[in-house]
Amino acid sequence: MRIITKENFTDFINALIDDDSLNVIGVKSKGEKFAFDPLNSADELRLDYDVTLLPPKKYFFPQRETLVTYNIGKSFSARESPDPNQTVIVGVHPYDIVALLHMDEIFSETKSDPYYFEKRKSSVIIGVNMQSMSKWCFAPYMGADTIEYGYDLMLTDLGNRYAIAIGSQKGEQLLDKYAKGLTNALARDIQMVGQKKREVAAMCKQKLDFSPDLIPEMLSNFYGESAFWEKHSEKCLACGSCVLVCPTCYCFDVKDNPDLTLQQGERVRTWDGCLLEDFAKIASGENFRATRPTRYRHRYFKKGKYLFDRFGFISCVGCGRCGSNCLPDIANPVSLLNDMYREAQQSGLEITAPTAPDIKIQTGTDIDYVPRLATVIKKQPMTSMETLFEIKLDDDSELGHNPGQFVEVSVFGVGEAPISISSPPTKKGSFELCVRRLGNVTTKMHALKEGDKVGIRGPFGHGFDTEQLKGKDLLFVAGGLGLAPLRSLFNYVLDNRKDYGKVTLLYGCKEPRELLFSDELVALSRRDDVEFKPTVDRCPESEIWSANVGVITTLIPQIEFNPESVYAIICGPPIMYKFVIADLKKRSVPDDHILMSLERRMKCGVGKCGHCQINHIYVCKDGPVFNYAKIKGVPEAL
Amino acid sequence: MKPKVAFFDFAGCEGDQLQIANLEEDILTLLGQVEVVSFREVMKEHSDNYDIAFIEGSCTRLQDEDRLKQIRKNAKIVVAIGSCATIGGINSLRNYKEIDDVKKAVYGENARLFDTYTARPIDAVIPVDAYVHGCPMTKEEFLSVVKSLLMGKKPEIPNYPVCVECKKNENVCAFERGQYCVGTVTRAGCNSCCVNEGTICWGCRGLIDNPNENSEKEVLMKYGLSIDDAINKFKLYFGWQERRK
Repeated sequence: MRIITKENFTDFINALIDDDSLNVIGVKSKGEKFAFDPLNSADELRLDYDVTLLPPKKYFFPQRETLVTYNIGKSFSARESPDPNQTVIVGVHPYDIVALLHMDEIFSETKSDPYYFEKRKSSVIIGVNMQSMSKWCFAPYMGADTIEYGYDLMLTDLGNRYAIAIGSQKGEQLLDKYAKGLTNALARDIQMVGQKKREVAAMCKQKLDFSPDLIPEMLSNFYGESAFWEKHSEKCLACGSCVLVCPTCYCFDVKDNPDLTLQQGERVRTWDGCLLEDFAKIASGENFRATRPTRYRHRYFKKGKYLFDRFGFISCVGCGRCGSNCLPDIANPVSLLNDMYREAQQSGLEITAPTAPDIKIQTGTDIDYVPRLATVIKKQPMTSMETLFEIKLDDDSELGHNPGQFVEVSVFGVGEAPISISSPPTKKGSFELCVRRLGNVTTKMHALKEGDKVGIRGPFGHGFDTEQLKGKDLLFVAGGLGLAPLRSLFNYVLDNRKDYGKVTLLYGCKEPRELLFSDELVALSRRDDVEFKPTVDRCPESEIWSANVGVITTLIPQIEFNPESVYAIICGPPIMYKFVIADLKKRSVPDDHILMSLERRMKCGVGKCGHCQINHIYVCKDGPVFNYAKIKGVPEAL
Repeated sequence: MKPKVAFFDFAGCEGDQLQIANLEEDILTLLGQVEVVSFREVMKEHSDNYDIAFIEGSCTRLQDEDRLKQIRKNAKIVVAIGSCATIGGINSLRNYKEIDDVKKAVYGENARLFDTYTARPIDAVIPVDAYVHGCPMTKEEFLSVVKSLLMGKKPEIPNYPVCVECKKNENVCAFERGQYCVGTVTRAGCNSCCVNEGTICWGCRGLIDNPNENSEKEVLMKYGLSIDDAINKFKLYFGWQERRK
């Protein structure tokens, strides 16, 4: 630990500012509040601040950030290399350092976000122990009022001097290069720093009535208490302020922004928030968290349960920004959690702290946000709404997918949409996507001509395990567009017919004119090694239909299968799953013999943006194919 | 072929068309993409042969309905620009008063010479394909909507409140500055431009799809507004939307 006089510290900061190769950021006053902003002079620095409006994450995960640039119809490229300058951030409170460590884990899990880490790696964090505390802050309860690591340098104000704890070589080099008059800390100084750190907790005005270790378990018990969530969210404006100011919130949206010449454009990611109405809405209009109480609840579950299950930490550092930014004053976690604890006690609920899950975060390769260029080689209209696209990657490589996986399709200047792959991996040289015209991207796709260019990212997600299914009887249950993802596996099975047992396809649509792949279905009905039963909900007088009329479940009693050897494979509109599963259960199909592909708003495809999240599960990464045995207890899944 | 565009104005201040006239160098790029066939504020030529009609102002007279219907018939795409056209704007303030009182207040003795009815947004008369909200609309959003239309894409207008943009811009909340703001219920898309400049959100972009109005009114009163003043905050721009509920 080193000691520097306040005078020399001022010189140190000014020396940093004077070096043009550094971006020096510090806490400055902004009206009555404080904010991290570029420093023009050491005099602006306010290390006595209580809390900043936004956390310093904005320097690593900015409000708005270009991911990809493109020449319309021609090429996609990674955005230009970032600012080569090193960023020095002065005055970060311990809770914000803890938050950055959480963000590091979130942005590196499975796939690493290159844009976040390039900025993290080229920055120096100079922390400061808290000298004042916002009245909303409860960091001491979350163990985030002091920290021994995660910084490059950590300052403690000792009156006429600062003690500087050195956390990294990078920090030490910065001191060596720019600071003058440093001395080694004496035992007395080290003692004083310890004293100052112990005093921090005493500044806290909030009081959590129980150990935060109980939060995950307590939340689990309150998931279904809708009256509780309705009461607490009644005044929620769904303005998203609580999540937008949060130092550990990482959800984002991605939008395309062409320039006015319509020759080029950029793909930009911006902060998003799960409290906002359209966060979990998909192109068909289905909204998986349409009401304020469910979104309000989701925020608590995400912080206190889902991320705990996934990463082993409660993703709240107690900075209190959410509480202080909520105008109707319903976002303070301490108030809600105390209320919950009180109700739990009144109802005699016994809550024990769960043992932290044994989690080893797997970090992998960098996420590639840049799509591969591909060409539409064939376009075949199927119904008034759906068209089958045959697509070939321009570098002549194979997509290399498993049945059940999906790709993110880019249409220049419009955006990206997740589309399941309809062709089997046995089809070489190109792949097929059956696309319903719904949102902007898919509407524009329908306007593409053969020869037009698109972008492809992926394949993403977890598909069907074709090896595990070998030798089994397969019962495919498809509703409407649900046939599109199932066709990949179905045709794979037909191409390897001898490897599989009895194969049955039940396929239902609203009306005959909505049947997809009708030519293939006709061919199918002539085969004797496949049982095929179609149904329609209704048949208008203008159409002809000789098969079953009724919802898809009316077909289930009509077929024979051995529940021990059959595997049911389901995909359809969200409403369909629970009815089909209930009927399969009536016929004694074991839970782990039911596989399904789920639809959510999969935006990034790599488990980062948060839109497709069901509890601790990311549909894009952990799914879209799930085993019913694993997902049946998960709220919001079915 | 470049799409032909035309501009029309009804009851309004023409401030939105002025935003277009003020696009500076962007107007040249824009003219590379579209052909303007009618724009009373900047040119004297006029043609009824157009693909996209931009309409400013609200409909305040029965006889204006015919003109609107004719525009709808001529145009492939109708875009409402500015608050008066998109949400009824401040013209709708008068809907809180008896129409005869309004006429007398404005025209005095000559009130009988003027014909007018409940002020309303364009989509109360004809179907509208796209909206550029704001009073006035911002140049940025106008260009973004135009780009979307040229790309054959439905313009994406946020369905979240101005607070989202305010937080991203790291503004000190207007309430914390001792002001009274309706950004909590107002549709974003303006990049919180008014609050960025130290003032408040007046609500010119209209309400989000599902605003929690009761909560916002409670907030206004908690911070010191009287109930009447809180209600008045909702009248300035939300008049037509409030009436329809």
